[in-house]
Amino acid sequence: MIIKSNNIVHRVYVLDGRSGCCSDDPRLSVDRHPLAGGGMSSPQSTPNGHFCKGISQHIVVERDAKVDVVLLVMPGTSCDIRLDVRLVGEGAEANIYGAYVCGWEEKVKIAVDMHHDLPHCNSRQLFKGIAGGTSRVDFYGKIIVAQDAQKTEAYQENHNLLLSDGAKVDTKPQLEIYADDVKCSHGATIGRLNEEEQFYMRSRGISLEDAKVLQMISFIAPVLEHIEDKSQRESIASRIEESIRQII
Amino acid sequence: MANDILLKIEGLRASVEDKEILKGVDLVIRKGEIHAVMGPNGAGKSTLSAVLAGKPQFTVTEGSIEFMGQDLLAMSPEERAWAGIFLSFQYPVEIPGVSITNFMKTAVNAHRTGKGLEPLKAGDFLKLMREKMAFVQMKPEFAKREVNVGFSGGEKKRNEIFQMAMLDPTLAILDETDSGLDVDALRIVANGVNALHTPEKAAIVITHYQRLLDYIVPDVVHVLKDGKIVRTAGKELVAEIEEKGYDNL
Repeated sequence: MIIKSNNIVHRVYVLDGRSGCCSDDPRLSVDRHPLAGGGMSSPQSTPNGHFCKGISQHIVVERDAKVDVVLLVMPGTSCDIRLDVRLVGEGAEANIYGAYVCGWEEKVKIAVDMHHDLPHCNSRQLFKGIAGGTSRVDFYGKIIVAQDAQKTEAYQENHNLLLSDGAKVDTKPQLEIYADDVKCSHGATIGRLNEEEQFYMRSRGISLEDAKVLQMISFIAPVLEHIEDKSQRESIASRIEESIRQII
Repeated sequence: MANDILLKIEGLRASVEDKEILKGVDLVIRKGEIHAVMGPNGAGKSTLSAVLAGKPQFTVTEGSIEFMGQDLLAMSPEERAWAGIFLSFQYPVEIPGVSITNFMKTAVNAHRTGKGLEPLKAGDFLKLMREKMAFVQMKPEFAKREVNVGFSGGEKKRNEIFQMAMLDPTLAILDETDSGLDVDALRIVANGVNALHTPEKAAIVITHYQRLLDYIVPDVVHVLKDGKIVRTAGKELVAEIEEKGYDNL
């Protein structure tokens, strides 16, 4: 996918293994084509009944162009997502937002390489996910800032909630910086649902189950808010809420 | 009269992480009464409120609590809330990402479901919100803010009283509601509590100082020391404590 100079592209991809649909679900995606370039493999059933999907995508962003990608991995979906983003013109901007919700035995792999080749480019990555059951999440994200790419601003965050002892999250944020006048940061966290919050909500009559749903929805919300279309955002949010109720 | 009794605590012992905090507490609260529980730091005041609200980290090792004839200790925190117990937290918890509106809607409708009622219509709910926000002098923007996130001390406590007004409990437990409040906020909070009080309800006001009790006047005052109630008297006890301190009681 090449984002031409001065263009703005906003894409939402929903990967849902259980319904067998992915980003080409006409109700949910603004972009009916799978990620171009490497493309998306067709869903394949795995022995545990989930579907496996692969996305391998090169995104090139030219001068003063901007791309926003929102990636959502619904429960019951195992996938392998590789994004390689290259900011090749001054003033280029890439924002990648991702959320995954795993409650059974999914295997979610996400790898992002963010290349800053030229000065004055911005990038932001925010990945938030929930891992329950015996699911396994591997996140790998790298920001590579070339020597010429002064005045780069690049941020990457990966935050995870673990719901069970059987789930496993492995996160590897990386920075590779060759320029000396840049603002870059990365951070990763793995935590559990806060019990003080739960007790506070329960003391107001909110059931433990509803308290957990509220906590999880609010955890994912910072990713969902980047879906521009309001009805699409609400539809996805309610699908996520439904699926969260199934995994707690 | 026995049927006037809202809350009856007998021989209550409770511990946290194997450390015994409450060492045999007896307390009877009747309809219409306001009880103050005073005591030095570490006496077990907050533990008592946490045990009443059902905080999971606390273990009751002995004794019983009856609330309106029900065995409170057999109930989950949410069931206690539905039954009419409300705890105003000493340190209200921040819940990032959850708006006051969404939080209260979930809470109010959970109460209604618990009582076998239909969820409140959106319009009725918003009307109730506006009314109760005005009651504690909260601006309309307040409804959109995340629960307690970035709130000042005074805002947090007003938010507690706002929630109390929304949920209309039979027994309100105010845990150190005066801590961190300036005089104006204290007055708003105290007026709120007084306005919500009726002859059918009761309140437990837990405090270290006399200050709050100048505004919320108790019928009965207890002194809790080292996990036990060591003195019980009328409101005149407050002045005595202020004069002598807890050590000389």
